[in-house]
Amino acid sequence: MVPMNAVLLLSFLLFALGVAGVLIRRNALIILMCAELMLNAANLNLIAFARHSGTPAGQAFALLVMGLAAAEVAIGLAIVVALYRKKDTVQVDDINLLKG
Amino acid sequence: MEAILSRSATYLFLLFGFIALGGAASMVFARNAVHSVIGFLVAMLAVAACYLTLQAEFLGVAQILVYAGGIVVLFLFVVMLVELTKFKEKRLFQIQTPWAVATLLVAVAAFGGVFWKTLFGPAAVEPLTLRPELAEGLKVAEQNAQALSRGLYADFLLPFEILSVILLVALVGAVVLAKTERV
Repeated sequence: MVPMNAVLLLSFLLFALGVAGVLIRRNALIILMCAELMLNAANLNLIAFARHSGTPAGQAFALLVMGLAAAEVAIGLAIVVALYRKKDTVQVDDINLLKG
Repeated sequence: MEAILSRSATYLFLLFGFIALGGAASMVFARNAVHSVIGFLVAMLAVAACYLTLQAEFLGVAQILVYAGGIVVLFLFVVMLVELTKFKEKRLFQIQTPWAVATLLVAVAAFGGVFWKTLFGPAAVEPLTLRPELAEGLKVAEQNAQALSRGLYADFLLPFEILSVILLVALVGAVVLAKTERV
């Protein structure tokens, strides 16, 4: 049986790396990937607690989160492509206007 | 036999946990965007292996299918599409990086304090592991896909259907956003 502490610690470290990536990277694609990493860290927690409680509810949540992550990636990448066509850049600090 | 299996699950979890951390770190700090995507792929596969050691077989396979099969390929397509090589000579990190790192370190220290207290403080009378009597009779581990499908289609049917609508809307929205000529 994997100890709960190890799972929580791994999930926390993955989440911290994701937050760091979102905060410091300039490339919108990598920021999107870091957001995915944070969702995965949350999923790891959900699965660990599902095993802890012995019910499948947490795993069902994790599956729903996975589906939402896929939707988020589809929309996010479409926005990145549209932005690249419009502004010719994907660096987030070059994109500072609300109007297109 | 049982003890060996349980201990090997822990070791495998630690191994794949370190691989996941390495992949995530290389994703955050890689200079080349393609290397970032590869780091992301490694991290996702390692997290799928972690799911397997946590007795969530269905989710482990779903993770490999969705992330390694779908999302990473999508990211690679977009990396090729936006031609990142011309940004390479510019700087990698944002202007606020020192502040962001400082804030993050404070948050990590705060969480680490709580974590340390929970682990080694007086409140931790027993370690946070699964007590065997809790899982009795449910067999989430042995019949993972069955248990999960019952959870998903009996208890969480409405969220599941809403999720399918969200996916449809996201697909249509992605097509509308990414196509060149406006209607």
